[in-house]
Amino acid sequence: MSISRRHLIGAAGAVSMLPAFGPEAWAQAKDKVVIGMSLEPPVLDPTKNAAAAIRSIACPSIFESLGRIDRNGEIKPNLAESWKISDDGKEYVFKLRSGVKFHNGEALDASVVKFSVDRLFAAESTVPAKSLYTDIEKVEAVDPTTVKITLKSPNSYLLYNLSLGDAGIMHPKSASTNDKQPVGTGPFTFKERKEGDSITIERFAGYRDLGDIKLKTIVFKVVKDPSAQVSALLAGDVDTFPGFQAPELVERLKKDARFAVVVGTTEGEVIMATNNGKKPFNDLKVRQAMAHALNRAELIDAESGFGTPIGSHFAPHNKAYIDLTKTYPFDIAKGKALLAEAGYPNGFEASLKLPPVGYAQRAGEVLASQLGKIGIKVSITQLQWPQWLSEVFKERNYDLTIVAHTEANDLDRYARDGYYWNYNSPEFKAKWREVVATTDFAKRDELLKVCQRIVARDAVNGFLYQLAKIGVWKKELVGMWQNDPSPSADFSGVYWKA
Amino acid sequence: MIDFLSRRLAAALLTLVLATVVVFAIVEVLPGDPALVMLGTDARPDTLAALRAQYGFDQPLTVRYLHWIGGLLSFDLGSSHAYGTPVAKLIGDRLAVTLPLGALALSWALLVAIPLGVFAAWKHGTASDWGVMGFTQIGISLPNFWFGIVLVLAFAVTWRIFPAGGFPGWRQDPVGSIHALILPALALSLGEIAILTRVTRSAMLDTLREDYVRTARAKGAPERTVLFGHALRNALIPVTTVAGLIAGFLIAGAVIIESVFRLPGVGQLVYDSINNRDLIVIKNVVILFTLLVLVVNLAVDLAYVALDPRPRVAA
Repeated sequence: MSISRRHLIGAAGAVSMLPAFGPEAWAQAKDKVVIGMSLEPPVLDPTKNAAAAIRSIACPSIFESLGRIDRNGEIKPNLAESWKISDDGKEYVFKLRSGVKFHNGEALDASVVKFSVDRLFAAESTVPAKSLYTDIEKVEAVDPTTVKITLKSPNSYLLYNLSLGDAGIMHPKSASTNDKQPVGTGPFTFKERKEGDSITIERFAGYRDLGDIKLKTIVFKVVKDPSAQVSALLAGDVDTFPGFQAPELVERLKKDARFAVVVGTTEGEVIMATNNGKKPFNDLKVRQAMAHALNRAELIDAESGFGTPIGSHFAPHNKAYIDLTKTYPFDIAKGKALLAEAGYPNGFEASLKLPPVGYAQRAGEVLASQLGKIGIKVSITQLQWPQWLSEVFKERNYDLTIVAHTEANDLDRYARDGYYWNYNSPEFKAKWREVVATTDFAKRDELLKVCQRIVARDAVNGFLYQLAKIGVWKKELVGMWQNDPSPSADFSGVYWKA
Repeated sequence: MIDFLSRRLAAALLTLVLATVVVFAIVEVLPGDPALVMLGTDARPDTLAALRAQYGFDQPLTVRYLHWIGGLLSFDLGSSHAYGTPVAKLIGDRLAVTLPLGALALSWALLVAIPLGVFAAWKHGTASDWGVMGFTQIGISLPNFWFGIVLVLAFAVTWRIFPAGGFPGWRQDPVGSIHALILPALALSLGEIAILTRVTRSAMLDTLREDYVRTARAKGAPERTVLFGHALRNALIPVTTVAGLIAGFLIAGAVIIESVFRLPGVGQLVYDSINNRDLIVIKNVVILFTLLVLVVNLAVDLAYVALDPRPRVAA
């Protein structure tokens, strides 16, 4: 066994002889788009797993719901072409669109909708969003195109919740295999999945209205690493990142004439969640002191300037929003005084447990130093996501943490018993019951304002900023959503400009 | 010889059994609830409990351990909780990326490092030697993910002769698949090239001082025969040892390189499974890698025997 120079040269030659092909993505047809995703969905069935990535790929492109949430966050008809709500808010009658077919050829009728909605709240159901639907008492198929849903008690958010991807309508024959082979009624059918790499969907020829569906093929490519996301865009492997995750790299893309960088809004309130059940955070004065220590401008700078300041747990683009950022204005002296009043003239020590998400990592150090200025010595602990879920969220073993609450209409968390903030306010609970029970949406907006004020006044959490949606796409790609009213994949009206 | 091998084999088996216990214990004490990861923050306690029962997370530890070992022994690795895919298929698909990547990186490393090390030893003390040593110093210091990003910017973004990442799949596009592995293998091998060059150089320097090398030169053997025929063969023993160890590092490095180049390999699978608390996948992948390292070590032992007859007797 000896190695001669001839062998070495031979082997090196074999490697250099490999052909040098360019990326396939160059030869792009005008009806195909490659969308970059930061997270990979484990499965493709929104009733099996809570991952937002599932909704950003499959809802409503594959699975449609009774209503749909449009790009402005409004509820529009989808599988239901109209609905009537009884005066007491307890009966919803949906008129279904006729002639709707599933991708496997099965027809949609009231019995299918009943099957699908029943699954959401059934006793043995393991649907992640089950709690959104437990107010439903029964679902009846009145006739083939009419479904009646009766509630135990009125819920003014039911229509919204039934329009979410979580309530995607599935057929009894394909429901159990939707995790791998999703079959819905949407404008796109599932084609293939390469785990760890990509998911491809194609236009559904049997869709009821193809007028708005210009794209033929959509490939979702998983690119987790932020610098790899930039190279994928620059090299032309990916046409767009609708939710670009690295604000610090945006400048690089803005300079490139090929791309449009479009900043919009999300439903994500970034908060410094606070354990209201633990000393010293159970003291309102301590929480007020911390609120005075918050310098939101500086926190938003850490996000490279992306984000809108918030003073309560409510999205600024919502029409019921009121600006409460001045409830406890930035004032170090006031913060120190309040801490002294609460019995902590020299401050105290606190832990800040951070989940492994970009915004929390970027805000962590800044927030620790801001609290340090009023005497709170913050030590930072890094947690993996599953650890954060168990330790902080479930066991409530924490002082402070930073997290974005990305669900729409999530002010209801302040009325929940045993939620991880340990906030318990009979006043808020009573108001929230009114919000849910009202059938008058104008009145609901007024009630929501009262709720925002209660939460801001009680300084339940540190309210930092509303997370921005940074969309990056090739300039020729038209119709992408600027805002992210709910995690969804609506590609109607998206096309390539010739 | 038989005795030597059977003893090595017994030791490897014992290691494997101990490894299953350690791996199981570590994976089970990982903080985090797989059901909570799947169902998210809106999950109700009853839903979580139902899902846990469905996957057997509520069973006692010993039952779960025996269930897992029973599965391993009958070649049934179970199904991933997060993906719903059989673990064997999941790992098989990913190995089809990571093994060629590792093999390519190791070939790169050996192809470059051995001649470079021999050259440096041959030119010992000259500017060329210093040049090679300087290069290895840089190679050891550069993090491979950084080198990977630089390679992408140069070869994929600027010159566009290699893809910036991704993997087309062996069946769909075999040529494109090899093409997609070249830059990552290069990035992965940089540190290994540096280490192997140094090891080859110092091993060569040692053997070049041996009497038999002087004898070979004295009897008029051409320098090429002296270097490659006489000195290198002996110098290869430490090089083989280190190359075997490096194979393990390559697998670890693959986690990061696969992420930079978006390769759906085992490294990414482990990373995702840890984040999803997909316990069954983590356990099986780690055991598979333990097995792989044991096999590589056995192969290294066998390579010693081929290169140098002494261990056959000494053992």
